[in-house]
Amino acid sequence: MARLWAVIKREYLERVRTKWFIFSTLFTPILFGALTLLPIWLASKSMDSENIAHIQILDASGSGLGKRINLALGGGVMSNDTSSTQIILLDTAQLAAAELAATDAVVKKETRGYLVLGPNILDATETRYAGRNASSLPDIGRIEAAVRQGILATRLERAGMDAERVTSLVNTRRIELEAEQIGDRGREGKGGIVKYIFAFSLAFLLYMSIFIYGQNVLRGVLEEKQTRVAEVVVSSVSTDTLLAGKVLGVGAVGITQQILWVVGSLLIMKIREPVMNALHLTSTSLSLPSIAPSVLALLLLFFVLGFMLYSALFAAIGAMVNSDQEAQQAQQPVTLLLVSTAILIQPVLLNPGTKLATIASIFPFSAPILMPLRLSLVSVPWTQVAASLASMVVAIAAAIWLASRIYRTGLLMYGKRPSLRELSRWLRRS
Amino acid sequence: MPEPAIEIRNVAKRYDAHVAVRDLSLVIPRGSVYGLLGPNGAGKTTTIRMILDIIAPDSGTISVLGSMHRDRTIQDRVGYLPEERGLYKKMQVRRVLKFLGELKGLSGREADSRITIWLERLGLRTPEKDWGLAKVDELSRGMQQKVQFIGALLHDPDLVILDEPFSGLDPVNAQALKDTVVDLKRRGKTVIFSTHIMENAERLCDSVCIIAKGEKVLDGAVSEVRAAHGERTIALALDGDVSPAVKAILADESLVSEADDSNRFYELVLAPGADANVLLRRLVEAGAPIQRFERVQPSLHSIFLEKVGATGVEAGMSGHG
Repeated sequence: MARLWAVIKREYLERVRTKWFIFSTLFTPILFGALTLLPIWLASKSMDSENIAHIQILDASGSGLGKRINLALGGGVMSNDTSSTQIILLDTAQLAAAELAATDAVVKKETRGYLVLGPNILDATETRYAGRNASSLPDIGRIEAAVRQGILATRLERAGMDAERVTSLVNTRRIELEAEQIGDRGREGKGGIVKYIFAFSLAFLLYMSIFIYGQNVLRGVLEEKQTRVAEVVVSSVSTDTLLAGKVLGVGAVGITQQILWVVGSLLIMKIREPVMNALHLTSTSLSLPSIAPSVLALLLLFFVLGFMLYSALFAAIGAMVNSDQEAQQAQQPVTLLLVSTAILIQPVLLNPGTKLATIASIFPFSAPILMPLRLSLVSVPWTQVAASLASMVVAIAAAIWLASRIYRTGLLMYGKRPSLRELSRWLRRS
Repeated sequence: MPEPAIEIRNVAKRYDAHVAVRDLSLVIPRGSVYGLLGPNGAGKTTTIRMILDIIAPDSGTISVLGSMHRDRTIQDRVGYLPEERGLYKKMQVRRVLKFLGELKGLSGREADSRITIWLERLGLRTPEKDWGLAKVDELSRGMQQKVQFIGALLHDPDLVILDEPFSGLDPVNAQALKDTVVDLKRRGKTVIFSTHIMENAERLCDSVCIIAKGEKVLDGAVSEVRAAHGERTIALALDGDVSPAVKAILADESLVSEADDSNRFYELVLAPGADANVLLRRLVEAGAPIQRFERVQPSLHSIFLEKVGATGVEAGMSGHG
């Protein structure tokens, strides 16, 4: 036991001390924080409130539509000052010349763009906007909405409604559509985009962690083989102890990193508001879906089992090969299992209830990634969760049986990579 | 007679393609320096690995320090320096040594103080520079070998097994190694080392065993082995050029059955029935510039060559020694 502990301690401490570990552990939450802040900050920079409001409206409609639209634009996203928009009332004959002048103004950067309201605009189905932000979908969307609202208001006014009432009725605020998932057991709480992003990030994180730390085990085994230190070590501890210590030590590094990531990300979410205020940014508050501790424990369990399954296989590969190049080749079957699981993430994310999703989340090699994905999207019958865990436990037992035998023989074998026939002989002999 | 350090009985080990060890039996006395001699591929490393329970024999039994070798606790009293040397390259020297010590059951604190003593003893820790704080790959090859040597001895084992310890050592470090072996013996430890350099074995070992092709060729105390082969060996030293006439005499198979020619020094084995005096007279008559003509006990080297011969060396079998 003391020996196993010594092996675990070495694997753990030597990895935690590396620059790579420190960097990736610190950097990931910072990246995460930046990812939640940056789009808003960039948006606020590029879509300065005057962007959509700092335009000319060439109004040849003769109905005061320009004024209505300006009102709907409201001076931009985060402003109430409607004076930045210039409304030029003109008749049809002047339109061509005015467009030329307006183009000139945009070129000289006096305005961002101009909107043309023709004489038949109230009955037409299309109109024109030209400007520097013509390729910005959100900008065009807002202008379109303002035009639609302006036309509606003007039509209502024409139909005899009181101008004041029209203004107050048309000027509605944006509506948030809250979507809620309904599953076999009824309502299951908030759905929507945040949940999808969370589920996807979770699956991706599991995939990356299992991949990175599984390969870490492979490299650790290969290093001991290449430096020939393995021989000294196995003269003191059994290969089984060494293998177990390696898998547990590396796994503990993975769990440490994930805990630090979660804590770091939570801290960054906490300081997000003050930072945003300091940068004079406003945004809707971002709320993570709340996770019950029991679910969190379940997620951790899936990581641990998935890691054990794959790291046992990676360790066996490491014991079979002699160089990095050989390792690249030999690990392909294992890598393929992981990558095909990653390919299934999207279909399962979009339709977590299909038969394919159910089977893939029980199949031991894709279960550690796809079952947590389904769990965070919909409620999964407990029988399926149990089946998934059971299949993984069986697969892990088989993988460890296989790996320990290959490891025992391969660790001190140098030279040619074993063929499949030699491998099967290794398995039978030990 | 005290219990032997190692007792190997009828041990065999075969790999897929060939037999590495074939029915080997050995008794290694406690407190002795024991040489395991043999050409590359003779089965030395396989034997050592079986003693250390790194690989299991197909048949036969091995007992180490009075216990069956599969008993893991007994391995804590054994120190091992493998032929293929290597350490964790990116690890700090002290941490590597501490790890190796902990694997043998040393506590961290005990390991720390012993590491300091050993580093100082082997010149890896001086007032100017403490290599213990450096990473392994910052050390020269010779220094890395010293570190590995410390790793094998840190837990003060009763039995030390050194596989080809002299390979790659410069004369200074080779002498330091010999001194340490002598010191270990003085302290009552048993030292086993494998080598194919007979001079080292002859000077250091109390007893030897020569194995070839996985089988024991002979074993016993060095003095007995040499005495048993000492009847018909003559040491001959010549001064100056050797004339064709002298060469013809040495090549005469009715007089000399074997001649180990080291240019000016010869170790000769008389042919059956030949007389040493006849040989001497003929050499004098041929005008050979004789410096030395002496009946001697044969060196291990010539016994080795006689017993194993060129045929004992299997081509391309290195690595599984």
